[in-house]
Amino acid sequence: MTNQLGLDRVFHALAHEVRRTIVEQLGNGDRSVSQLAELFDIALPTLLKHLEVLEESGLVQSEKIGRVRNFRLRAKSMLEAEHWMELRRKEWTTRLDQLDEFLMELKKENE
Amino acid sequence: MSDLNLHVPDESLDLVLERTVDVPRALVWRAWTTPELMERWFTPAPWKTNSVQLELRPGGVFQVTMESPEGDVMEHEAGCILEVVPERKLVWTAGLGPGYRPLNRTPETPFVFSAEISMEDFEGGTKYRAVAMHSDVEGCTLHGEMGFHHGWGAAFDQLVALVKGG
Repeated sequence: MTNQLGLDRVFHALAHEVRRTIVEQLGNGDRSVSQLAELFDIALPTLLKHLEVLEESGLVQSEKIGRVRNFRLRAKSMLEAEHWMELRRKEWTTRLDQLDEFLMELKKENE
Repeated sequence: MSDLNLHVPDESLDLVLERTVDVPRALVWRAWTTPELMERWFTPAPWKTNSVQLELRPGGVFQVTMESPEGDVMEHEAGCILEVVPERKLVWTAGLGPGYRPLNRTPETPFVFSAEISMEDFEGGTKYRAVAMHSDVEGCTLHGEMGFHHGWGAAFDQLVALVKGG
């Protein structure tokens, strides 16, 4: 399922402290690469690598204006929609797990 | 099962779950259609079922009242049974009330869905499929669910918690 794939990338993107901090920062507004660089004590190529992972996940989007590259959070709805679907999937999976367990009990009662 | 006119899922809006169980189809059907039996499994833990109302006929009531771990009762508006093919197919919707009366979406009924359950014999047991169809996912995210109001912040917090926990 494509939603599932997207969610995997989102999870991967968020599986690093630096990337989570970047997303949190962008939640407060757009930031340029140099503004983000000030927040971390890491080499620029490393930061750029993190930004690349975030951009591939679809969580953030960048735009180059003149010589400045700005990053912003992408439409929140994308993540919310996938998150919502994931909650629904969890609900149904748990429900059917419970059903299957119950069915085995029911079968025993009927034997 | 082509004569059952099963729903063709839309992967962006529908969830499809298929299971195979070593249990006779008649029993699977009973578990899905008998209120006293549904009470014992329908609500995902840690929530539990408070009551189930189910009239097994098109237009009949379908309502499950759930209780949170804290003891808060979540009463969804009663839904409507749409189709009953004994021991083969059950369809209901939360978008209509009993007798097909249309329901409005409210903060108390944050999202609308329809579900189609179908089953067939399979290697001495039963194969069943559950499809949950949703109206529009983006609209759904605007509302709370099961008492849990998730805007962007909460959704993000949950994701982070999941990632950290996993």
